Amino acid sequence: MEYRTDRLSRAFSALADPTRRTILARLAVSEATVSELMAPFELSQPTISKHLKVLEDAGLIERGRDAQRRPRKLVAVALKDVADWVEPFRSQWEGRLDNLDRHLAAMSKKEKQHVTKGPSARQKRPSR
Amino acid sequence: MLLKDPARAKSDLVVDREAHAIVLTRMFAASREQVFAAWTRPEHVKCWWDPTGRPLAECEIDLRPGGAFRFVNQQTGATHQFVGLYREIAPPDYLVFEVMGATGRVVLDEIGGKTRLTVRIECGSATHLEQYLKMGIDAGTAKTLDNLVAYIGATQN
Repeated sequence: MEYRTDRLSRAFSALADPTRRTILARLAVSEATVSELMAPFELSQPTISKHLKVLEDAGLIERGRDAQRRPRKLVAVALKDVADWVEPFRSQWEGRLDNLDRHLAAMSKKEKQHVTKGPSARQKRPSR
Repeated sequence: MLLKDPARAKSDLVVDREAHAIVLTRMFAASREQVFAAWTRPEHVKCWWDPTGRPLAECEIDLRPGGAFRFVNQQTGATHQFVGLYREIAPPDYLVFEVMGATGRVVLDEIGGKTRLTVRIECGSATHLEQYLKMGIDAGTAKTLDNLVAYIGATQN
């Protein structure tokens, strides 16, 4: 249990950095070598390597079998641990903010209707 | 985050275990004034707060420092009500409130004509943070947005 908590803490620290999250998102698509990871992120090789080491220490990624290319790949189980822990909260807020997004769209539409219809139309609406 | 389905998740969620904080960010195609109103006026809050999309059964807002708020979902009722106090109110920039021993900060930034919403929930300790995260489970996972879509449809016609 203690081991699991420690690993979760390391995973969360690793995930706190936006570059590392982007790297993980890229690795979620397929495994990639260090040079393949460098190109889209415009980061130097030492910087990428540093980020990869943090992710590896946190158990979130591992090295693939190809000894020559040494591709990195995602450790799906480790990510699932993190996701399970935070997923109910995330999904609750995602739902809530999806609602907010729709509600704001409806608010904007109403305001536009007020503008186009002018003050006489506005008076006919029930006041708040 | 959390990379479960990066294409679908529109919000960014970061859990900062050292600061015992959860930080959510999301962009909205609306003005800061609109987003602030959506967060602080009961007629708006009751339409979107419940993740299932149902309108709130009760929504009381006393918008002043020290004033109370109370949001009650239809499904879970008063046992899982969201109750707290407003601390700072600065439209359209930010809103600070306290709820269940945690401090909530809602910050609105204008970026390229859109609004970036940041919700930061700071807990007192790592244990408190875990408890706070676990409470999400009670709210139920089924997301039926049908009711909200129907509501918006009705108000537009």
